[in-house]
Amino acid sequence: MSTLTRSSSLPYTGPAPTNRLPYVPHNVEAANARAEAIAQKIGGGMLSPVPGHDAPTFAVTRESILDALRALRDDADFAFTMPLDLFGIDYPDRNERFDVVYHLLSIKNAERIRLIVRTDADTPLPSSLGVFEGFDWFEREVFDMFGVRFEGHYNLRRILCHEAFQGHALRKDYDPGKRWLLTDKDVAKLDPIITVEPEHHDFEQVTLNLGPSHPATHGTLRMAVTLDGEKIIGMDTEIGYLHRCFEKMCETHTYNQVVPFTDRLNYCSAYINNVGYAMTVEKLLGIEAPARAQHIRLILSEFSRIADHFVCIGANLVDLGALTNFWYLFQPREEILQLFENCCGARLLPSYVRIGGLPIDVPHNFLEHAQRIVDMIPKYVDDVDRLITRNRIFHERTNGVGPISAEDAIRFGFTGPCLRATGVPYDVRVANPYLGYETYDWDVPVADGGDTYARYLVRMEEIRQSVRIIRQAIKRGLPDGPVMVDDPYIALPPKERVYNEMESLIYHFKLIMHGIQPPIGETYFQVEGANGEVGFYVVSDGTKNPYRVRVRPPCFAIYQAFRHMIVGQTVPDLIAALGSLNIIAGELDH
Amino acid sequence: MGVIKMERKKLSAMERLYLPEILKGMGVTIRHLVKNLFNMKQLPTIQYPEVKRVYSERFRGRHILTTREDGTTRCVACYMCSTACPAECIAIEAGEDERTREKFPVRYDIDLLRCIFCGYCVDACPEDAIYMTRDYEMAIDTRARSVVGLRDLVVPPNMPVGPMGWRPYYGSMTKVGTAGGTGAGQELRQPPFPDEAPPNPDLFRGGNAS
Repeated sequence: MSTLTRSSSLPYTGPAPTNRLPYVPHNVEAANARAEAIAQKIGGGMLSPVPGHDAPTFAVTRESILDALRALRDDADFAFTMPLDLFGIDYPDRNERFDVVYHLLSIKNAERIRLIVRTDADTPLPSSLGVFEGFDWFEREVFDMFGVRFEGHYNLRRILCHEAFQGHALRKDYDPGKRWLLTDKDVAKLDPIITVEPEHHDFEQVTLNLGPSHPATHGTLRMAVTLDGEKIIGMDTEIGYLHRCFEKMCETHTYNQVVPFTDRLNYCSAYINNVGYAMTVEKLLGIEAPARAQHIRLILSEFSRIADHFVCIGANLVDLGALTNFWYLFQPREEILQLFENCCGARLLPSYVRIGGLPIDVPHNFLEHAQRIVDMIPKYVDDVDRLITRNRIFHERTNGVGPISAEDAIRFGFTGPCLRATGVPYDVRVANPYLGYETYDWDVPVADGGDTYARYLVRMEEIRQSVRIIRQAIKRGLPDGPVMVDDPYIALPPKERVYNEMESLIYHFKLIMHGIQPPIGETYFQVEGANGEVGFYVVSDGTKNPYRVRVRPPCFAIYQAFRHMIVGQTVPDLIAALGSLNIIAGELDH
Repeated sequence: MGVIKMERKKLSAMERLYLPEILKGMGVTIRHLVKNLFNMKQLPTIQYPEVKRVYSERFRGRHILTTREDGTTRCVACYMCSTACPAECIAIEAGEDERTREKFPVRYDIDLLRCIFCGYCVDACPEDAIYMTRDYEMAIDTRARSVVGLRDLVVPPNMPVGPMGWRPYYGSMTKVGTAGGTGAGQELRQPPFPDEAPPNPDLFRGGNAS
């Protein structure tokens, strides 16, 4: 037994499994007190605090939800100005079966709150577009998935499922195995809403279809633009081509089985999704991964971020005709993927976390390899910098292209580099630090203008800052110890013990067959993804399968604003701006 | 932690002239060209399939089923792997050995088109029976061939560790994984590849031939 990596002495003598107990968040008292304070200030009886959550949570009635949202947004102290997420949860046994959850973010206080409205399938909710325009696609998604209607929404149609789809996929009584065939005649014609008055009435207006397999969309996005001469005067988008029922599949799989699915959200930086999901479930379980695992998670997350920015900048420049940079950026990216492959055996979709830590320790030469990569990255980034940043063609293609103001960006729920390019220094790693980001010395880059050029500048600097973080992390070295928590109800026992001991075999068997069973409750956790805040909302009913997993995909919020950013410009501008938003179809379509 | 403001400097007159910047850019590309010309070994391009990259010992490639010394499969058809599989790509049918009363798989199919190569089956196996190899060349010409059965998966006993990939972890691995190649100047294998002959010559015959 000398080769064991974990020191636990089985049989396990710790506390019994937490099965069927309610979840008590670590900050429950602070959250309850904060909820009371907010309810008192906003008042009017609109907000009734629901205690026991990890963030201030309120039950709101259908009638007062708009007033509550408006009051929270306009209050100068709380300033919940950003619409973060809007989703449904189905409890079919209840009279009003749907919970519609509004998540709001206050950038000023780095604080999130939740408003829960109950409704049934027949009673519509008032559309909140008048208060938060950024809930546009989120309301459509709730309608698509649950059949909850929003009165006053200008375009309430399906968004992720196709037109021939019958029923509402995330309702609990919807059979996950059901399939619907989409035929050619069902495909809806996109009809762009004209938002700019055409200048030239002597031209015929042309509606041009772009995608879903257009080389510049780098994914399956479909757009239709109405052109007046060369100017785009109207635009409509259709998404859902890569919809893989991520959230429905989570409900039929165990907590650990969801990890490979999260890979496929933002596949350019899959590891950050892995970490975000695992940390959410760890929060629900009330555990923390060991220090060594957290350190490895941090290093690999930053490498993922760099790789994602490489893909974004590289592909964006290819769209603009600058192919060379793509090769320069993909060479260090290749090294990063190699590092992942050495750690876990897969390059792009690592699945290199488990709930409670990592499945296996890193190779012995992990830090040297990481050091070699961070020494290599700046050379290539500097080459791209020299080629592009002061280049006149690039300037003229990107300056003032696809601009968005800071107010609009917040209104639409922008996060990540696209928000920082408008000058708002909001980064989850600073606002709500996790994995020890607060102990590192690094800066948040911002730019002004919010256009394609600003987004390029921010991403380039973020690569350098990530390199800075990794350098410090390497210098500190990996802490000794295990990479997995010592709890047989969460972590699989060492294989040698499984082969040789009865108790370990039983723990192993129980964990594979019955999975991890977290306490009953719900929690939200967010990490800074490569293109914004990636949040997971997990509802547990105490069984081995999550009752509901909600992912907050950052590009979903960003892409809905694309129409507003691009109207009035030309099709070549659209290509340039689209690449700089880093829309990843896997994440956009869940 | 601070905030850095990225400056948007206007282009200078020199930069607006366009040509000097182009020449500077050409300088960068020519430097790369010359560096690569005189340093062909450092090129990241691999002349696949003539030359192959070496993947790490943890590579999650095609599966194999291991055997005991006497040649019987280690698998006892306990369904742990198919339960743990997030993609539901493993189908097992259990039988009983009349002589030893041992359970064993009569049918063991993996649909490689469904498989997402996450390695959960290896982690779940309590019998050391399923491993992943470093075999990543799995091209097939019909969908039916994507389903591999016992005949394609079972390897003879005492299989060399060389082509093995993701195996049982948490202390059972004989040595901590070693790094494979690292992009430029990486470790490469030149043909022929004697030890890479697939464990079964009928690899990807397809169907449920077992």
